[in-house]
Amino acid sequence: MMTPFVLLALVTLGGIGLFLAMPGGRGAPGRAAPLLLAIAAALLIAALVRLTAGPRNAWLILLALVGAVGAVRMITHAQPVYSALYFILVAVSATGLLVLMDAGFLAAALLIIYGGAILVTYVFVIMLAQQSGGPRPYDRQAREPALGVFCGFLILSALASYITAGGAALPPPAPAGEAGIGSVANVGALLLTEYVVGVQLAGVLLLAAMVGAIAIARRKAALEEGRRHWEVG
Amino acid sequence: MLLPYLLVGSTLFVLGLVGFVTRRNLIIVFLCTELMFHGIIVNLVAFGRYPLHGAPTLDGQILALFLLTVAAAEAALGLALVTLLFRYRGTLDAGAWTELKEE
Amino acid sequence: MLAEADTALPVALYATLPFWPLLGAVLVGVWIAARRDPSRAHLPVVFGVAVSAVLGVALFVDLGQRHVDPPPATLAGHFESAETGAGRQAREPADTFTAGRAPVGGAWQNPGFTHTLYDWISLGATQSLEGGQWISVNFYFDRLTGAMLLFVTVVSLMVVIYSIGYMRDHHGHPARGYERFFAFMGLFVFSMITLVLAGNFVLLYLGWELVGLCSYLLIGFYYQKPSARDAAKKAFIVNRIGDFGFALGIFALYMFIAPLAQNYENPLDYAVVFKYVAQLSEPQLTLVALLLLCGAIGKSAQFPLHVWLPDAMEGPSPVSALIHAATMVTAGVYMVARCGPIFAGSDAALEAIVWVGAIGAVLAATMAMAQYDVKRILAYSTISQLAFMFVALGCSAPDSAVFHVFTHAWFKALLFLCAGSVMHAMGDVIDLRRFSGLRHVLPQTQKLMLIGCLTLAGFPLLSGFWSKDEIVHAAFEHNTALGLIMLATAGLTAYYTFRMYFLCFHGPKRLPPEAGEHPHEAPPVMLRPLYVLAAGSLFAGVLLGVTLKFSIGGSFLGFMSPHGFFHSYLHDSTVAAGEHAGGGAWLMYPSALVAVGGIWLAWTRYGDAPQAEPDRATFGPLWTLWNAKYYFDEIYDAVCVRPLRALGDFCFATDRNGVDGLVWFVAALPRGAGFLLRFMQRGALQGYALGMVAGLALLLLLWSWMDERPAAPDSADLSGLQGHAALVGRHAP
Repeated sequence: MMTPFVLLALVTLGGIGLFLAMPGGRGAPGRAAPLLLAIAAALLIAALVRLTAGPRNAWLILLALVGAVGAVRMITHAQPVYSALYFILVAVSATGLLVLMDAGFLAAALLIIYGGAILVTYVFVIMLAQQSGGPRPYDRQAREPALGVFCGFLILSALASYITAGGAALPPPAPAGEAGIGSVANVGALLLTEYVVGVQLAGVLLLAAMVGAIAIARRKAALEEGRRHWEVG
Repeated sequence: MLLPYLLVGSTLFVLGLVGFVTRRNLIIVFLCTELMFHGIIVNLVAFGRYPLHGAPTLDGQILALFLLTVAAAEAALGLALVTLLFRYRGTLDAGAWTELKEE
Repeated sequence: MLAEADTALPVALYATLPFWPLLGAVLVGVWIAARRDPSRAHLPVVFGVAVSAVLGVALFVDLGQRHVDPPPATLAGHFESAETGAGRQAREPADTFTAGRAPVGGAWQNPGFTHTLYDWISLGATQSLEGGQWISVNFYFDRLTGAMLLFVTVVSLMVVIYSIGYMRDHHGHPARGYERFFAFMGLFVFSMITLVLAGNFVLLYLGWELVGLCSYLLIGFYYQKPSARDAAKKAFIVNRIGDFGFALGIFALYMFIAPLAQNYENPLDYAVVFKYVAQLSEPQLTLVALLLLCGAIGKSAQFPLHVWLPDAMEGPSPVSALIHAATMVTAGVYMVARCGPIFAGSDAALEAIVWVGAIGAVLAATMAMAQYDVKRILAYSTISQLAFMFVALGCSAPDSAVFHVFTHAWFKALLFLCAGSVMHAMGDVIDLRRFSGLRHVLPQTQKLMLIGCLTLAGFPLLSGFWSKDEIVHAAFEHNTALGLIMLATAGLTAYYTFRMYFLCFHGPKRLPPEAGEHPHEAPPVMLRPLYVLAAGSLFAGVLLGVTLKFSIGGSFLGFMSPHGFFHSYLHDSTVAAGEHAGGGAWLMYPSALVAVGGIWLAWTRYGDAPQAEPDRATFGPLWTLWNAKYYFDEIYDAVCVRPLRALGDFCFATDRNGVDGLVWFVAALPRGAGFLLRFMQRGALQGYALGMVAGLALLLLLWSWMDERPAAPDSADLSGLQGHAALVGRHAP
């Protein structure tokens, strides 16, 4: 089983690496950050290898790696557009993971909604709010990266230790015959019988969101008096 | 097979959390919440697919579907608000909004 | 023994004595408040004091109508001896001759009567049908009271009339604070009369404190001057030291007497105290006597608490005359005389009084020799004369002491008021170095001052001669060495008195610039009271202190002996431990010689008012010591004032830093906490989010520690994971 030390090393190195990779650089990150992150990634792979069993190992590990790298790059990139693009990469990897778990419909829905709707909206807004010039100071400087990274990785270490601690006597993986479990027919049948109230509520929620978004977007806001640009001190 | 998915999901979630707390661009902050959603969805589906007792169920996927709905709604509203905020202050800096200060 | 029915006028009328000056003072207060013309503001007080004076004289005469016995030729056979106390039962109770004398162990019989105005403070648990124990407002009338009131009221009246002229400028306009002065004077006369008339110790203490208060108010009358303010404070504080002992004495007295008193007898009334005092043991009496003596030393400015009196000369001259010569400072002597039964029972206390008096007399006389301020010379002279009285009290001659109080009041008031007249003419300059030869300028004042000085010096046939002689005789009776010391001090008295007189009035005419163009004599309103006082100085002795008896060997000049009418008047009312022989006529010739010799010596050295000081040349460093008042003030400053001030500074610092600091600290805690926690409220949303994340992390860590971790990774225990998984999904579809 996974020894605690490997986990600890993973978390620590990953944390430091992430911290160094944060925009607004501490000292001279230079080569250090990617190196550390690479080591952390390798450790992650090792951890996953130890944890997995079954024929889908390689895909799982690859998708996990892609997702992790994409997430890291997303949160450390200085330009918002690139962050959005890396997010799409993460979405794709999540989709892949869902397919591996026989959730076909959900995978498709995820990709369509995230990639096709949410991300498009994000990119639109980023373009709209774009100001001339390069990355803004608030993009170039992370806000208390040390504390944030530390707390976050504290959570990760706790979660990871939970996860790896109780993994020995897990039930065997489900038989492969369940491949179609997440098909449209199955999901749809369940939705319309057991979770029909939830579907209705979700519809109402979407309506409310739509109305709210329209109302907000129509509001005319003027810049506060005497201010053209507001610079962070 | 549950555990690696959980690990991946946790990693995605934590990375999203770190990004949410650290970045100063309002849009990126919201984007990080979406990243957190990804992690959660993976976790949920994993729990549904590899339950601790009994056969695999679709409960996780259903919940994840609803989560997706909520995420979409939230993204729409959030972006509308961000646009409005941007129009007020002319900047996307999260530090521009400190009205809740104690001074 | 006197009884209420014995008086011609009703006693209730005499009981109003204190209140006339008080009424006058209150009316002046109203006058001030109504802002009326100040030049008539003296009228209510003058009227009040005048009424009191009339009543005082009437009381003196009234109380003397009966039982005034001639003094005996010899004492043997009419008195019991103090030591044996034998023959007590054989004594006839109606024999007033012996009734007043109470040797130790004998019974005291009340020579006066008490008139109660109202019951003031209830004392207690035992309330019988007869009324219980109270501290009442009551007045005690006996001949000692009468004698004291006579001169207190009349001298007060003279001083108040004098003040009408003194407190005005040369054009006759009232000085600043004219009305305030008279209000305080009225208050003072009320206080003094209350003190004298008081019938119990608490009322005595009340009057005691009130005269101290009025002294403070009047010394500090020119409060714009810092020296006057300081002198007023000094007087009050030094008096307070003595009063502390006095109060303790009253408490001790209560402690001893209260168990003995009957149910209906107020334990602090004079009548009750003196009735039971014979039952107390000598140590108890000594304790009470010594504590009461503290009060007398403070009030009468005796060594070692004499330091306030010379400084008290900062007040106006009438104040010095009345309060610090004639009345307030004599309260100590009066109190010791009044408490004769207590002091008579304690030899140790009597010795203490003698020592205090003897040392004080000599010290004050030497200090007076080396001063330049006329009023200060007179102040030291007052201390010295009061010391004489204390010596007499200690030598068991209380009636001689009271007689000297009587005569001293007249001539000392006269001297102070003459000094005031000089000041009035010289523009408030009273330093002897700055003027001389005033006999050309102020002839009447000169004559009056001469009378006063002669009396003070003890010139034969004047009142001071008789009274001082009695005291010196009593000293000789007690102890020959003491007698010689007192005789020598009498000579010193004559010397320094006439040094002052010659330096002031003789010699070349020199005037200070403040005197103005034409310094003139005082107006009649100031001079007429002085004539009355001079008459008292001249004749009081002869009229009251002399027995006319033709006896070549046993009298002065063949027919005059001391111990006259005054003594027989006071006979019943004063109590002495031993018996006193009359006589002492043999001493009068040496006394006269000493007095005249002192005057002559002063004439030779100071007759022409030399600029250089002959005494300084003669005595050298001694003179410097006397001039510096034996450095008493400096010693007290170093020993008492500085440490107290340091203590006060320490307490202030403790209060400010410690106590206030504690309060500040308690107030600063929330502030500090707020300051520290302010970072959490910076308004940045991501900061709040970070806080939440941090909290989540901590919770998780805590949780994981609290959960049972599996001992080895292989022995998988899914309980923890199960619990968490249960939160996420549903078990069964």
